[in-house]
Amino acid sequence: MTRKLAAEKVSAWYGPKKAIEDISLDFEEHATTAIIGPSGCGKSTLIRCLNRLHETVPKARVEGKVLLDDKDVYADDPVTVRRRVGMVFQKANPFPTMSVYDNVAAALRLNGVRNRGKLDKIVKQSLEQAALWDEVKDYLGKPGVSLSGGQQQRLCIARALAAEPEVLLMDEPCSALDPIATAKIEDLIFDLKTDYTVVIVTHNMQQAARVADTTAFMYLGHLIEVGGTRELFERPREALTESYITGRFG
Amino acid sequence: MIRFNRDVRRRLKNRVMAALALACVALALVPLGSIVHTVVVRGASVVNPEFFTQIQPIPCSPGPNSTCVQGGIGNAIVGTFLLLGLSSAIAIPLGLLAGIYLAEYGKGPLVFAVRFFADVMTGLPSIVMGLFIFAAFQLAFPGIVFSAIAGGLALAVIIIPFVARTSEEALRLVPGSIREAALALGVPKYRVTVRVVLSSAREGIVTGALLAMARVGGETAPLLLTAGGNSFYSVRLDQPIAAMSLVIYNFATTPYANWNALAWGAALLLVLIMLGLSIAARFLLRHRFHEQRIRG
Amino acid sequence: MPQAAERKALEKSLQKLNENMVTLAELSELAIRKAIDGLTRRDAEVAREVFTLDQEVYGLQLEIEHTCIDLIALHAPVARDLRTVTTSLKITTDLDRIGRYAKDLSELTLQFGGKATGERADVARIREMADRTIKMVDTAIDAFVQRDAESVRNIMEVDDAVDRMHDEIFADLVRRMEDRSLDTEVGARYILVNRYLERIADHAVNIGLRVVYMVTGDWLPRVRAADRVKRYPK
Repeated sequence: MTRKLAAEKVSAWYGPKKAIEDISLDFEEHATTAIIGPSGCGKSTLIRCLNRLHETVPKARVEGKVLLDDKDVYADDPVTVRRRVGMVFQKANPFPTMSVYDNVAAALRLNGVRNRGKLDKIVKQSLEQAALWDEVKDYLGKPGVSLSGGQQQRLCIARALAAEPEVLLMDEPCSALDPIATAKIEDLIFDLKTDYTVVIVTHNMQQAARVADTTAFMYLGHLIEVGGTRELFERPREALTESYITGRFG
Repeated sequence: MIRFNRDVRRRLKNRVMAALALACVALALVPLGSIVHTVVVRGASVVNPEFFTQIQPIPCSPGPNSTCVQGGIGNAIVGTFLLLGLSSAIAIPLGLLAGIYLAEYGKGPLVFAVRFFADVMTGLPSIVMGLFIFAAFQLAFPGIVFSAIAGGLALAVIIIPFVARTSEEALRLVPGSIREAALALGVPKYRVTVRVVLSSAREGIVTGALLAMARVGGETAPLLLTAGGNSFYSVRLDQPIAAMSLVIYNFATTPYANWNALAWGAALLLVLIMLGLSIAARFLLRHRFHEQRIRG
Repeated sequence: MPQAAERKALEKSLQKLNENMVTLAELSELAIRKAIDGLTRRDAEVAREVFTLDQEVYGLQLEIEHTCIDLIALHAPVARDLRTVTTSLKITTDLDRIGRYAKDLSELTLQFGGKATGERADVARIREMADRTIKMVDTAIDAFVQRDAESVRNIMEVDDAVDRMHDEIFADLVRRMEDRSLDTEVGARYILVNRYLERIADHAVNIGLRVVYMVTGDWLPRVRAADRVKRYPK
């Protein structure tokens, strides 16, 4: 098991309020790790610390280390980190003034790539990886926001992949989607882990059970238990974990 | 029985309110309509090629033994455009930068101070702005107190806080998720602001800029103290310059018929120009998405 | 909140499942007890009661199967709930088999009816084996009802003793049939009784091991009877 990404005693604050405390968690390369837990447990905060997005919020603070290939990302330039660690958000957010093509090409264009041939190639590749190419290949000029909800989310995935990251963070990517769109994205995640390391935050435990190799359970800002998905769902070690996954939370 | 009554009463109330609202709209439109009507009727008669190319004539009223030259306001038209162009070129970039600062980068009490003063300034009487430039030039550049540059600056000072606030509001309307999405792609913040946020907000920003221009296009008071007015064609920055609003001010109150006519013509032209600016803005913004196709 | 409501439905279903499982277990145990009793006292009346019990056991087992499938389809249970449902699904098979063997024993009782039994010593040994078997079934079922994993953790060792006893009784029966001290037909039937008891004990072991899994999640390694025979060469 190669450790691609790891959190080491990460704590984060929003102003005076401590959102997560002393989280240490490893993320295996070319595998999917799910983070589950009730609302407000800090799972979104945690992954936003992984790509240094948390600190862009005013008065936010992070302590601890996040190691990407065993090097602390907090000692590095945040822009570089975010290129290597991509993110897909809960609600699909394609750039409203850009076409489908422009959205996917955004990461490259905004970083100075102008070569049309290269852009074409990467846009096509990313849309194929996101299982969206066939649906949009004749409509690349259409506005990004004119696609359906599920398509928009896949567009955002393609956009994130176009930046050629090594890790892909997904913050409840299916929570606003219908079951068919959700199934498509879950299939996508299954394929993606061949080339990327995927971390997915989800409310839906069945989803974690379906897509993740490792699952971590968080509660009130703490990491309660982490383990192979099968073990966690068949016989969790902690009573709290068992209460949560069987839905008997008090 | 009771239910039926309540329902009827409700529907009646609905209709009455709708009618009242409609009446208010009509009432509001009446003065507007009558202004437009008057300006068009009075001004149309004088609008001809001569109107656009000639400068102001000798004042006279047509009588039995004297023919009046209609003359034109060509110099005033050029003057207004020059002043608008000058003030916009100075004020819009500055106002936009201020708006970007307020929306994207500002932290702490300084932001509130800047915003507060900007709001105050948008409400100041424009003649005070004119007076400020007048006094400043008296001290620093006494030779060009009445000049195009002074007029341009006076108008610019009016525009800047206005553009700053409208730009800030337009930028604020861009959802935070867009900024986050761009940041998450590994794009530096300044580029996120310029290439993503700004382009998302461009409708609002352009509208704000055009509104600002439309507002100062018709300003008279500040120009009285700075641009000065000029009977001849001039594009020199250091010379006094004519403007359509000044023409209206100066000519409308005189007893001379030809001058009065020119004043109405100027009024009509100003209204049409401002209308034109709005339409141009809407038209420009339609051009948003161009065809993209990947070969092979 | 939707989450709480789903748990109510799940809880109700789980409760019904548990009640039915307990009933099924009790019926199975009753069947085997009655069968042994009928056999030792050659009581045809009791033997016939066992046939009825076996039918009930079978019917109830089917109903429980359906309940388990519904639970899985509707509630996607996890952790303890999952283990409870899947264990129940498997244990019903063992309990049903126990009921079936009880019926088989009662059939032998009816076949014995009237015939002289021979030396009481044989019956005594078999009686001892029957007692041990019943005790194993009782322990396993108790463990299920009480959700007590500890009491059945070493049930395999108890079964080893029963297996040894089976082998000894078998050898003894064969010897006595060979030297004609025991009527062949009677002896053959006793061999069957011996066999049935041993199989019942195996099923009790299955139940016990599954209870351990249900409660703790541990899979205890099960050495199958067929493999174990090789460890005790004749």
